[in-house]
Amino acid sequence: MRTNNLILQTVTKIVIFIIMTFAFFLFISGHNNPGGGFAGGMTTAAALVLLYLAYDVKTVHEGIPVDFKTLSLLGVFIAVVTGTSSLVMGKPFLNQSFGYYTLPLLGETELTTALLFDTGVAMAVVGMALTIIDAISKDISEDNCPWKP
Amino acid sequence: MFDRLLLLTLIIQAMAIAMLLYRVVKGPSIPDRVIAMDAIGIQLLAMMAVLSIYLRTSAFFEVILLLGILSFIGTVAITKSIRKGALVEYDRNR
Amino acid sequence: MYNLVVLPLLIPVLCGLLMGIFRKSIAFQKCLSLLSLLLTGAAAFYLVQQVSARGIQILELGGWQAPFGIVLVVDMLAALLLAAASLVSIACLLFAFKSIGPEREKYYFYPFLQFLIAGVNGCFLTGDLFNLYVCFEVMLVASYVLLSLGGSKPQLSEGIKYVVINVISSTLFLIAIGYLYGVLGTLNMAHLSLRIAAIGQTGLVSVIAILLLIVFSLKAALFLYFWLPGAYGALPPAIATIFAALLTKVGIYAIMRMFSLVFYHQPQITHDLLAVMAVLTMLIGGIGAVVHGDIRNIAAYNVVIGVGFVVFGWTVFTPAAVTGAIYYLIHDMLMKALLFMLVGTIIIIVGSSKLRDMSGMITHHPLLGWLFLISALALTGIPPLSGFVGKYLIIQEGLTRGAVHTGYYIGVAVGLLSTLMILYSLIKIFVRGFWGETTLSPDMEKGNTRGLILPCILLTAAGVFWGGGAELIYPYVEMAAASLLDPAIYIGAVLGEVI
Repeated sequence: MRTNNLILQTVTKIVIFIIMTFAFFLFISGHNNPGGGFAGGMTTAAALVLLYLAYDVKTVHEGIPVDFKTLSLLGVFIAVVTGTSSLVMGKPFLNQSFGYYTLPLLGETELTTALLFDTGVAMAVVGMALTIIDAISKDISEDNCPWKP
Repeated sequence: MFDRLLLLTLIIQAMAIAMLLYRVVKGPSIPDRVIAMDAIGIQLLAMMAVLSIYLRTSAFFEVILLLGILSFIGTVAITKSIRKGALVEYDRNR
Repeated sequence: MYNLVVLPLLIPVLCGLLMGIFRKSIAFQKCLSLLSLLLTGAAAFYLVQQVSARGIQILELGGWQAPFGIVLVVDMLAALLLAAASLVSIACLLFAFKSIGPEREKYYFYPFLQFLIAGVNGCFLTGDLFNLYVCFEVMLVASYVLLSLGGSKPQLSEGIKYVVINVISSTLFLIAIGYLYGVLGTLNMAHLSLRIAAIGQTGLVSVIAILLLIVFSLKAALFLYFWLPGAYGALPPAIATIFAALLTKVGIYAIMRMFSLVFYHQPQITHDLLAVMAVLTMLIGGIGAVVHGDIRNIAAYNVVIGVGFVVFGWTVFTPAAVTGAIYYLIHDMLMKALLFMLVGTIIIIVGSSKLRDMSGMITHHPLLGWLFLISALALTGIPPLSGFVGKYLIIQEGLTRGAVHTGYYIGVAVGLLSTLMILYSLIKIFVRGFWGETTLSPDMEKGNTRGLILPCILLTAAGVFWGGGAELIYPYVEMAAASLLDPAIYIGAVLGEVI
C-alpha cells in the first residue's frame, strides 16, 4: 500500500531548522552551562533521524553525501589531536588554553581549545548515531552485506 | 497566593499523568497507548515549565526544548512503525 | 609532568583513527600500523631506560594535580610490560600481514588492532582506578570486534559467550568502583592506598577487594577460565596470538597492582584466596592441556597454566618470588605469542587442527619444527631458555615459604606437576606432528609459510635473549619487584607534592 506522508514531510521541513538551531545553541553554550559537544551532537543526530523517518535513506544520502563512519572517526581524530597539540607547546597532554578576542558581530568573545575538542566529540556522536540508524535500516540481503549470508 | 496556584497546577498535572498511565497500561489498542505516551510527554513539559516559574529559574528551558524534540520524534517514529511496519525505508517510492 | 609517558597510549590511537579514515588503501594501513608500533616500541624502551635512571615517571593529564585529576604513572613493572607488549604486537602484526586475508583487512582489522594495543598500554599506564576501567573497556570493545570479524559460526557462538562474560564482569567492576568511591571518597590508586592505610582494611573494604578480585580473575582467566579455550580456539591465528599474549596479562597486571599497592593489609584473606585459586588454575589447565587432541585447545590451556603459575609466584610475596613472577610473566607474554604463531602456522599448513591429521612435517619444514621444540623447552623452563629463571626463583621461594605455611608445599608440588604437563602436551604435538611418516607432500599443503616464519624467529630471539641475558635483565626486573613490594615508593612519586 502506497502512503503519502505529506503532513509529516511539510512539518519536518520547518521543524528541522528549529532543532538544528537549538543543537547549535546547546553546542556553543556547553563550556560553562548545560550542553556541549555530546548534547549538541545528539540533538543534531535527532534532527537527522527525523529526516530519515520522513523521507528515506536514499534521499537523505543524496542530500548529505557524507560517509558517517568516516565522520565519526574524523571527529575522534580532531578531539585527540586537540589534546595532543598541548604536547607541542610543552604543556601536559589534554591541557586547554583560552583567550578573549573581539569578533565582528559578536563583540568580545571567549574562545577556548575545548570548543575544538567539543567539535570532535559532536562529529563523533553524530557519525556514530547515524551509522547505527544506517545499519539497522539496511536490508541484509542487499549488496552492501560484507559477508555472504 | 500565586505560589499556591502553581502548586495546585502541579498537583493537577501529576494526577493527569497518573490517569494517562492507566491508559498506557490498559489501552485496548496500540494507537491509544501512543497518544497517551505523547500526552504524558506534553504534561511533563508543562510541569517543568510551571516548576521553573515556581523556582524562579531559567535552568530548565533547555530540558523543556530537548524533551519536546525527543517526544515529538518518538511519537512520529512509533506512528510510522504502526502505519508502515518499517521505521526507516531504503527507497520510499519502491 | 613528563609527556613521554602518554606516547604509548597516544600513538596507536592516532594512527588507528588515521587508518580508519583512509580505509580504502590497505598498503597505507599496513605501513602506518608497522610505523606506529615501531614508534610505540621505541617510546616503551626509552621509558624503561628513563625509569631505571630517574625513578617513577608521572604525567598529570590536563595539568590537574594528582588526587583530583587523572594521572598516568610508569614504574619499572609498567615500563617492562609496555616494552614486551610492543615487541609481541610487532611480531603479531608481521604475522597478520601474511595470514589475515583481504576480507578482514577491508573491514577495519588494522585500526582495531591499534585500538586494542592502545587499550592494553593504557591499562599498564594508568594510575587511576576508573581510568583503568575505561582502558579495559577500550581493549574489550576492540577485542569484541576482532573476535566477531569474519562472522563464521564458531566465532559468533563463542563471541556471544565472550561478550556476555565480559559485560557481566565489567558491570561488577563498575559496581566495585562505586562502592570503593562511596567508602573511601577517592579513586586515585596511590590515594586509595593512603586512605586504606589510615582507616585500616575493614570488612567492607575486604569485600570490595574480593569483588575486584573476581573481576580481574575473569579477565585474567585465573580459575574463572571457562570462556578462554573456546574463544581462543575460534579465532584466526594472528588474532589468537595477540589475545593470548596480551589480554590475560592485563588482568594479571591489575591483580598485581591492586593487591600489592592498595589491598595489602589482610593477606590472610585476599592473598591466600589468590594462592588457592592459582593452584587450582594450574591443576585444571594442566589436565586440560594433557587430555585434548586439538592443538588449538592445547595451546589455550597452556595459557591458563601460565596465568596460574605467575599468580602463584606472586602470592608467595617475598622480593625474590615477586621478581620471579614478573620475570615469568614477561617470558610468558613472549613465549605464548610464539607458541600461538607456531600453532597457527601448523594449522595453515595442514588445514586442520586435529593432532591425528598431521605427521612428519619435519622433512619439509625443519625450521618450523626446531622453533617449536625451542618454544616447548622454553615454556617448560629448561635452563638456558627464558622460562628457567622465573620458575627457579618461584619454586625456591615457595619452598622457603612452605616452612612457615605448609600450604605452599602443595603449591610448589602442583607447579612442578603442571610443568611436566606442559612438557608432555607440547612434546605430544612435536612427536605426532613432526616425527613419523611424512603424509603431506609440499604440493598437498593447504597454505604456504612464506613470511610466517620471520616473526617466529624474531620472538624466539627475544625469548632466548630474555633467558640467556638474565644477568643483564635481572636488575631491571628486581627494580620492578622492589617498587611493587614497597607502596611508599609509588605513593611518594604520585602524591609527592601533596603530602
